Amino acid sequence: MGSAFAAGFEILSFGAIIVLVVLGLGIIASMMGIFNFAQGEFVLLGAYITYLAYSNGIPVWVGMAAAPFLVGALGFVLEGLIIRRFYAAPIVAMLGTYALGLIIRESVRGLIGGFYLSVPEPVGGSIDIGSIHVSTWRFVIIIVTTLVMIGCYLLLSRTSFGLRVRATLENPSLARTSGISTASIYGTTFAFGAALAGLAGALLVPVFSLFADLGIRFLIQGFVSVMVGGVGSFIGPVAGAAVIGTLSAALPWVMAPVAADILVFVLAIVFIKFRPQGLMSGKGV
Amino acid sequence: MAESGLVGALGGGKTATRRKVLPIVEFLALLVAAVVPLVLQDYLTVFATRVVILALFALSFDLVWGYAGIMSFGQALFFGSAGYGVALLARDLNVTSILLVLPASLLIGLVVSLLLGGFLLLGRHPSSVIFVALGTLTGSYAADRLARGWYYLGGQNGIPSIPSMTLGSYEINEGPVYYYLALGILVVVYLLCRFLVRSQFGLALAGLRENEQRIAFFGYKAQHLKAIMFAIGGAVAGLAGGLYAFHEGFVWPNVLGVVFSTQVVLYVLFGGSGTLIGAVIGAVIIEGVSFWLSDNYRDVWPIILGVLLLLVILFRPLGLISLVLGERERVGSFGGPPKESHHGAP
Amino acid sequence: MFSDHNYLSRRRFLSGFASASGALATGVGSWVVRPDWANAAEGPIKVGIATDLTGPIAYAGNADANVAKMVIKEINDAGGLLGRPIELFIEDTASNESIAVGNVRKLIQRDKVDMVLGGITSSMRNAIKDPIVARGKTLYIYPQLYEGKECTPYLFCTGPTPAQQCDEFIPWLIKNGGKKFALPSANYVWPHTLNVYARKVIEANGGEVVFEEYYPLDQIDFGSTVNRIISNKVDVVFNTVIPPGVGPFFKQLYEAGFLKNGGRLACVYYDENTLNINQANEIEGLASCLDYFKALTKDDPVSARIQAAYDKDYPGKILFAAGSAATGTYRGLKLWAAAVKEAGKVDRDSVAAALDHAKIAEGPGGPAEMVPGKRHCKMKMYTAVAKGGNYEIVARSNGLVDPKEC
Repeated sequence: MGSAFAAGFEILSFGAIIVLVVLGLGIIASMMGIFNFAQGEFVLLGAYITYLAYSNGIPVWVGMAAAPFLVGALGFVLEGLIIRRFYAAPIVAMLGTYALGLIIRESVRGLIGGFYLSVPEPVGGSIDIGSIHVSTWRFVIIIVTTLVMIGCYLLLSRTSFGLRVRATLENPSLARTSGISTASIYGTTFAFGAALAGLAGALLVPVFSLFADLGIRFLIQGFVSVMVGGVGSFIGPVAGAAVIGTLSAALPWVMAPVAADILVFVLAIVFIKFRPQGLMSGKGV
Repeated sequence: MAESGLVGALGGGKTATRRKVLPIVEFLALLVAAVVPLVLQDYLTVFATRVVILALFALSFDLVWGYAGIMSFGQALFFGSAGYGVALLARDLNVTSILLVLPASLLIGLVVSLLLGGFLLLGRHPSSVIFVALGTLTGSYAADRLARGWYYLGGQNGIPSIPSMTLGSYEINEGPVYYYLALGILVVVYLLCRFLVRSQFGLALAGLRENEQRIAFFGYKAQHLKAIMFAIGGAVAGLAGGLYAFHEGFVWPNVLGVVFSTQVVLYVLFGGSGTLIGAVIGAVIIEGVSFWLSDNYRDVWPIILGVLLLLVILFRPLGLISLVLGERERVGSFGGPPKESHHGAP
Repeated sequence: MFSDHNYLSRRRFLSGFASASGALATGVGSWVVRPDWANAAEGPIKVGIATDLTGPIAYAGNADANVAKMVIKEINDAGGLLGRPIELFIEDTASNESIAVGNVRKLIQRDKVDMVLGGITSSMRNAIKDPIVARGKTLYIYPQLYEGKECTPYLFCTGPTPAQQCDEFIPWLIKNGGKKFALPSANYVWPHTLNVYARKVIEANGGEVVFEEYYPLDQIDFGSTVNRIISNKVDVVFNTVIPPGVGPFFKQLYEAGFLKNGGRLACVYYDENTLNINQANEIEGLASCLDYFKALTKDDPVSARIQAAYDKDYPGKILFAAGSAATGTYRGLKLWAAAVKEAGKVDRDSVAAALDHAKIAEGPGGPAEMVPGKRHCKMKMYTAVAKGGNYEIVARSNGLVDPKEC
């Protein structure tokens, strides 16, 4: 019983981590039809900013709070300077984001070298329930992820800003005709997606050490999640992330980790092949 | 309609005769490549051989992306599979004869790409570009993880100490001999590809690139065309993989993985896709500058590479080759000149 | 970076000019440490170091490069070897086997070194040994602790072997930890082969291996493993997971209460460098068995001297430690220098013959001796436990331990 609970918690916390990373990727993909190859590197930046704060004596949680804003701002700038030119050619846009990701990754690598750096969590230790020890910080991650998701949902469905975003998502030309500035919506969306990635990186860095290739593994899991979940909606990528995260965390309990790793991706690809629209098709929230 | 330009490019009429730049570029490249070992020191010739093999690999990507419009982020899957395949042949079965291993690597690349391409491209609904890109990316990533985890393949260590390729009892070692071997293969494959893309098949592919739906309406099975090109690209990548394995003397999971796959995307993007020679030039320039700079600007070079790539994408999306080549030459000419030159005919 | 040319003779000018133009043509050769004087007629003896200056193993590679510079400078300051100065060429293997092979080729073909020392992970050693020993026909010294079974001619190993790390360590672990062992491992050759040996010793001493598992190198989530350890009431975790996974693994193990319930961590590559990967409380009580710990400087004057010299020249984060091949590098270079002195020549066969039975009286942790015919090295071994972020020595070997290889 205890072991089942521990397993359940592990799976939940890992799933939450993936959802946090994928949320931003999904929003950008659904909105602008661009798969942001630099998303993994935004996660890396969030982690790096947190580390910078820590290594300069600033409390870790301050760094974590600042990370989403800083990364979001960077995302906004990048969108305006570079991504904006490629909306007509999504493939080229993706390659552009790949180049950006490369620049960011190698810059971070230059700054931290090849080292694996650790950052302590702001709220450490574990919660003891009987004989079960549950990592406090992982618990915090689950809480934060849930709050963020609820916040996003409310933002998109209840506010007028969210209304404009949804309008642009469903029919960009009509939205433009109605007077909505799609350009600034896109900019904000990209910034938002980047900010989410930054937040994910900041929250994750106590769990996984900081190293330059942190972004790559999340990128692939992210893409697969988005496609499994379905591009075009808010809930789609979240669902996909939940599925992929759960599978990735659960399978190693029943088979060799290597096989589990590969099986998740193979299953995902086969699934997408036979259901290209993903789990949740349709646009909107 | 720029008819006179069209006619002129086909080598026909009296109007606007534009000199064809492409063959000149190709010839110059060949000339430079041929004299490299005579000019450079031994260990640099070894480096140049590696670049030639990578250029062959880049060619395979240009075939699938530049000519069939398939964004394949997983070319290394075929490259690495063939590399591992021949490494296993050498390790377990002691097969090192060039007459066996090169065809084997070609075959392995072909089979793997047929399997993957068939799955990704064929089927009732045409697959989106993104799905194929993701599928190839995942294939490469999964293969990397598999090789990393499978002890028979050497796991993380890969397969080291691959013996030299042999021709009878003669050992083909790294140096000028291997260089000319690799160069010869590159030239042969290049010419074959050139022939292929100028043929009727290539014409259909050019139409595919321009407007896939229209080609389908004409009765061409677009997905089949793509799958064939994908398979050919895979075979070429496999061949490069086999050469690489014997040249470097070892294979390891990275030759299957995503980083290596995207490297070849960079080469072609930089040089210019859809021209064949662009892929070769891109590979040579990036590898060459990387080698030269890695001594001095070890940390900064990858950042510079990323910035350069970004600049190319922003300002010269057609690659460096577009500096000398016109758009017409990129698309290519097909068949022979028209039977009669009709001025002003539709 | 390190060239100070004090006086310029015509010969030196010409050779300098030639190498400079060569360097311009080919890119400045990585790091070349040229000694000040070159009055020996045959020119300098060339030593090549191929190590990971960048990448995840950079913390170790840089230490090795520093040690090499320190030792070579010491030899040169004392008059060189055979009256000739030693010239050091350092190449980066970048924790990337493919880059490594290319750079090693530079050492062999461009710089034409007389000996190569380097490689840290076994996969790196496997990748570069062929270009060095077989194709390059050069002597190769491998300085790092490893899984054994490397019996290639002209390849000498100066780091601890499984026999040296397990024979006395595992009985200590059983007495000071418990009988139930878990073997979580990274999936590559060193853990696989080490575990075979460790299992033998564990079972011969009455212990039990509860499970043995292999993970991909970049795995960072160990939930199922931690759970299996706790639910099976494992006493000793004999860990061979390496960075980047080891930090999260130990943290997750700590959070699940393993240490609280009396469990012991054991990791034979853990040294002063890796102590910083986790917070001190997460690895309290971790035991390691190596040929050297900094704590030895308290009672061994030789070790103290070497440590002090290193710390003076290279203060900062790159530490002189045994798990990072730094001690093996020191040992290897000194043994090689002794062999060259005995042989009187620098060609591969003469030096290999002399190196086969070379001895040094002073080294980090104690003296060292090559076992004739085996190309492996006898050395003293120490067991240490991490307490509050520092090591405390709890056991020492009686004299030099046999590597039992080949």
